[in-house]
Amino acid sequence: MNSSVTRYQKRKKIVDLFFIGLFRLAGIIAASAIVLIFVFIFKRGISVFLPNYPDQISLWKFLTGFQWQSSTQTYGVLFIIINTLISAFFAMLLAFPISVLTALFIVKIAPKKLGEILTTVIELLAAIPSVVYGVFASGVIVGWVDSLAKVMGYSTFGGRSLLAVIILLALMTLPTMTSLSIVAIKTVKPQLELASLALGASKTQTNFKVVLTSAKSGIFAGLILGLARAFGEATAVSMVAGNKSVGPTLNPFDITRTLTSTMLSGLKETTGLDYDVRFSVGIVLMITILISNLLIHHVKKKIGSEHA
Amino acid sequence: MTKRRKIIDGIYNAITMLASGTTVIALVLIFGFVAIRGVGTLSFDMLTNNYWSQNYLVHFENNQPSLFETPDDLGDDVYFSTQYGVALKDSINHEKKKEVLIVYIAEDSPFLTSVDASQGSNYLQPLSIDDNSIFNRLEYLNEEGVVSLTGLTMQENAETIVQNLDSASEITSLYFQTQGGGIWGSLLATLMLIAISIVIALPLGIFAAIYLTEIAKPGFLRNTIERAIEMLAGVPSIIFGLMGIAVLFPITALFNISGLSVLLGGMTMSIVLLPVIIRSVQESLVVVPRDYRYASLSLGATQTQTIFRVILPSALPGILSALLLAVSRIIGESAALIYTMGTFINDAPKLSTGATTLAVHIWTIMSGEQPNFELASAISIIILIIVFILNFSVKFLSRRLERKWQG
Repeated sequence: MNSSVTRYQKRKKIVDLFFIGLFRLAGIIAASAIVLIFVFIFKRGISVFLPNYPDQISLWKFLTGFQWQSSTQTYGVLFIIINTLISAFFAMLLAFPISVLTALFIVKIAPKKLGEILTTVIELLAAIPSVVYGVFASGVIVGWVDSLAKVMGYSTFGGRSLLAVIILLALMTLPTMTSLSIVAIKTVKPQLELASLALGASKTQTNFKVVLTSAKSGIFAGLILGLARAFGEATAVSMVAGNKSVGPTLNPFDITRTLTSTMLSGLKETTGLDYDVRFSVGIVLMITILISNLLIHHVKKKIGSEHA
Repeated sequence: MTKRRKIIDGIYNAITMLASGTTVIALVLIFGFVAIRGVGTLSFDMLTNNYWSQNYLVHFENNQPSLFETPDDLGDDVYFSTQYGVALKDSINHEKKKEVLIVYIAEDSPFLTSVDASQGSNYLQPLSIDDNSIFNRLEYLNEEGVVSLTGLTMQENAETIVQNLDSASEITSLYFQTQGGGIWGSLLATLMLIAISIVIALPLGIFAAIYLTEIAKPGFLRNTIERAIEMLAGVPSIIFGLMGIAVLFPITALFNISGLSVLLGGMTMSIVLLPVIIRSVQESLVVVPRDYRYASLSLGATQTQTIFRVILPSALPGILSALLLAVSRIIGESAALIYTMGTFINDAPKLSTGATTLAVHIWTIMSGEQPNFELASAISIIILIIVFILNFSVKFLSRRLERKWQG
């Protein structure tokens, strides 16, 4: 009798240990995915620069090149980085104020019912898959850009242009940034607002000077996510970018080429230099996102300390 | 408040209102565009048809004219051949090309007794012509017994074809085409992809979430895992595509799969889904009251028993919403799948072959020489409806979960 109880206890303990081990293993597997991504993409992306690669290309030419032509195996990525930065920067310039102000309106200014409706609008926008944004962009935005260019006396390639990419990215990053700003604004302590109001500031002054300043940290977190999405967005951008082979593109009505559109263009072959070099572009993309995140973190800290 | 202040405040408020207005306009424009361009193409046939049309050449076993009565319910634009019992109609397909459709075939019509004359394994086997097939070219003997041709290939419309047909003394062969442009294959591939990725990602994600919230003590390992999963959530999806090729492709190669495949896509998607599932399950585990765990443990239950019998059932709505979020992510995903499943529209997808999901299907038809907005928008409508239903269900579920623990 006694021994059967011990046996039962023992079995229970083994099962317990087994499952705890299993849970831990699942956690480690999930975490190791990011390591695998970095290691394997780096390995394959760097391989094209190494001497034992059949069609080795020079790393220096890759990093400083202003031309991308897979037909002649000329791969220069610098102008593509510049184009990506330009399009993401202007998209943020367009979308960031709109999202912050929309969030402020939803949380602080709009009547409750209207605020709820607008929140739903933001949620719906966030749920639209990027490929649908792409269909919209190549059906509508491209047309706008084309007619705008005609008015200003430029000609476009059917509207495919840097400007179209900027508008598309602004539209796509809008819901991400707005919803994070909403969260940030909602967490601002009511005492701060009351103090401001008690000092005689108007409601609007309080909203703009006190609420937005206090919510700064969360709002910047939204900006980082929005920027990462702008850099990493692939399918929709590739539909309207046009993939220019020499750059950089500074004219908003000219076609452009971003890191992601480069990775997606001409995906016909599945081997060889033209394919492997996409991994190198992938590395550049990840580094770009990483550096821009660090920069914004830095800026955030600086602004934060000024007002502290 | 001074008057000046009031005016300035008014301007500031108006600006915020304008900003919110922009987002509403954006949503309306996107919906409006997709709905207007897509609704004409959206139909049940589109859902069930193949994308690639098949070409058939058939001979007729019974090729003599007889007399058929015109059915009453044919439309004004439909022409009926009283000699051969077949009704034709002019139509324009979604690529804006003219076509002549067979809309009705009478019983005992010679058109129902055709045999396959195309070379192949089905040679001389009976083949039935479906309604809605495209009538391309008919070979017949005219009144003088001379071999003649009629059909769309001869630049003729339905009216002329029916006139020619009624004057024929004998019909010999027909070249017809089944209708293409359907999305059945992509729909099937999407379902397969959902099944594979969920089967892999859901248990892994739930277990990892349990480890992080229930078992791991604060410390190096837990911090590292949490940071790693956070980073995983921020990786752009095109990078996941590269990962699929670099890391997972060798694994599918073990199953003797030589190229891009639905299996590879599913495995890639399961990695994409991990952070989504882990985060959402973690959220639902955190709100389960501490007392439940203590009560169970103090009754002598082991930690495993507590987790499986007490905590997980309480977190069920959270797990369900993780599942729904995952499905909606799979349906919307494109970039990662372009690399791992390929862009070939496959009418009969298998685990080991490349195929497209609905989203990739859109990308494929949009990035071709002639973008097909009508079909792309129609598929977009389907995707949007599914994704919105899933998202609202998640919202509903999490609200239920909140209310459950508030009492």
